[in-house]
Order: sequence, then C-alpha cells, then structure tokens
Amino acid sequence: MSNTAWRNRAASKSARSKASPPAPDRARAGDLADRATQVTAEWAPTAARVLLGLVLAWFGYHELMAPQLWTGYVPVIAPGSGLALAAVLVHGWVLLMLAVAITAGVVLRLAAAVAALLLVQIVVTLTITGGLTDLTLRDVGVLGLAVCLTGATRQRAVLTA
Amino acid sequence: MRIAGDTIGPRGIAVLAVSAVVGVLLGLHGWSGRHNGLPSTLASSGPRPSAPARVSRPARSPAITSPATTSPATPSPATPSPAPSPGPKLSSQSYASYSYQVWPGPLSTAAKAAATGLVIAVHRHGSGIMVTAGVAGQPAPTPRFYPAGAKVFVVEAALGDDSGNSDYNLGDDGLVVTNSQERILQ
Repeated sequence: MSNTAWRNRAASKSARSKASPPAPDRARAGDLADRATQVTAEWAPTAARVLLGLVLAWFGYHELMAPQLWTGYVPVIAPGSGLALAAVLVHGWVLLMLAVAITAGVVLRLAAAVAALLLVQIVVTLTITGGLTDLTLRDVGVLGLAVCLTGATRQRAVLTA
Repeated sequence: MRIAGDTIGPRGIAVLAVSAVVGVLLGLHGWSGRHNGLPSTLASSGPRPSAPARVSRPARSPAITSPATTSPATPSPATPSPAPSPGPKLSSQSYASYSYQVWPGPLSTAAKAAATGLVIAVHRHGSGIMVTAGVAGQPAPTPRFYPAGAKVFVVEAALGDDSGNSDYNLGDDGLVVTNSQERILQ
C-alpha cells in the first residue's frame, strides 16, 4: 500500500470517528434504550394500576366522608333525599373496594372491568345532564385506563397469595 | 381460589375484607355527619348554616348583580325582614378558606368561578342591602335585608366540579352574609 493511500484511509477513518460515536458506544446506547423499554413494559401496567387506584380511592373516600356534597350527581333520585345519600355511600364504598383491589392487584381484571362499567355510567350520566365537557372527557381518559387494565395479563407487585 | 380467571389467596381476601370494614366505618361516619354541610341561603328564605343547597342537574352560568347592573324588574319586598343577629366569625368556620367575597366588589376571578350555577343579586336598600341568592334556572327566593356594612361571600368547596358555565355539584356551594366585623349574620 502506498503512503498516499494509507494517509487517505487514515484521514477517512478519523473523519468517520468524529462524525459518529464508536461502535461500542452505540451498542451501549442501544442496550440502555432496550433496557428502558423493557422496564417500561414491565412496570407501566403497575403504574397504571396504582394511578387508577388513587383516583378511585380519592373519590371513594370523599363520597364516604361527606356524602351530602355528592348527591347532586345521583341521577333520577331527588338530591335532598336519604335515598340519594345512601346511593352515594354505596357508590363510595364500591369505589374504595375497587381502588384497593386494583392497587393491590387482587382479582385485577374483574375489578378493572367493574371500574370500567362504573366509569361508563358516570360518563354517560354526565354527558346526558351536561353535554360533552372537559369534566366528561377527563373521565373518558380514566375510563380508558380501566379498560386497558381489564386486558392486562402480566403485572408486577400484585397480591396473589 | 380463582375468580374470573384471577387467583386470589388468603392475603388478598384479608386485604379486601379489611378495606370493606374500613369502608363501612367511613360510611357510618359520613352518614352521621350528613347534616354538616356548607351554609346556604340558596334554596331557602334565610341563612341556615347546616343546610346545603342541592340541585338535581347541572346549573349554568353565574349571575351576580349589583346596583350597577341591576335590571329594573328585580323584585323588592314590601316589608324587609328584621335584621339578623351576628353569629360566629366567618374565619372560624371550616369553610372560610372556600369563601369568596362578592359584595362589596370588585369580583375576583375566583368569586366569579365560585358563583357558577348561582344567581346572586345584591342591591342597596335604605340603610342596608337586600340579598337574593338562588340557583340558576329555579325561582328566585325572597330577598333578605342586611344592615349597612354587610359583606356577602359565596362558598364553593370544590371549583373542580365547575365546567365552563356549569356546576355539577351545587351541594358544596353556599352563601354567607357577615357584618362589617365578618361575623356571620343569621
């Protein structure tokens, strides 16, 4: 190989090394991305479970503690009646149970399915009484989370024992 | 044990049982405190601190009127009711942090939001003010007289139940009138 050809190859190699990281670095970046994807795939359903449980627990707790503030949401029944109050208490209790079941991963898919049905009822009622509003669409998002969990097959940190 | 394709063990059953009991206890607490609401004059002729106003469907659009915007057709009672006696200070009440002053003005943005779904009218009347507060879309209750220096506050525990010009839960709304020392008039 002539000196000129050798210098050309060396210059070309140097230019390539400046333009992109060396192969081991790229491999490491690829590994990290793969690892992040793997961790996300493993734990995202758990995060979804905990976050949905938090929403349900929040509303359940407040409905149980101050049912008189929630009777306006009860469809058909007069808001001032004891029946509306009892309906709110039952609703709050169910929400709390679903929150615990979903967060702990106990009969998860059944609990998520019941939560999805409850959220469908809430979305439909809000849409009928007030139309499509930002509140209603926010609940549609929570409904989506519940629907996703009804199909979840692999979960981390669940209480199966 | 398997339920709907999921396995449930003794720990799972125990967790659900404990949460069921906690839920029942919380519900009993809620039931026993069902009369502890926000103060309101919205659905009644006079202020009753333990009677929150409630409606069965979302109420729309706040309407707060003052002398500058009052329509001439606003009803006025022939004989004003006697001046109410001062009660506890508003600042000592649990709902003080949710109270927004609507009279005297100017109205803050939060007060306008808190008044969503309500119709509150305040007019000067002789040596005091006449206050009418009701739910939008429902017949206005009889105006009530308060002496000079009275302040009117709207109470809204959760602004998050207001959407646009609708309030989905008037159960957490109320109206409080205080004297100049901010003692609740009742």
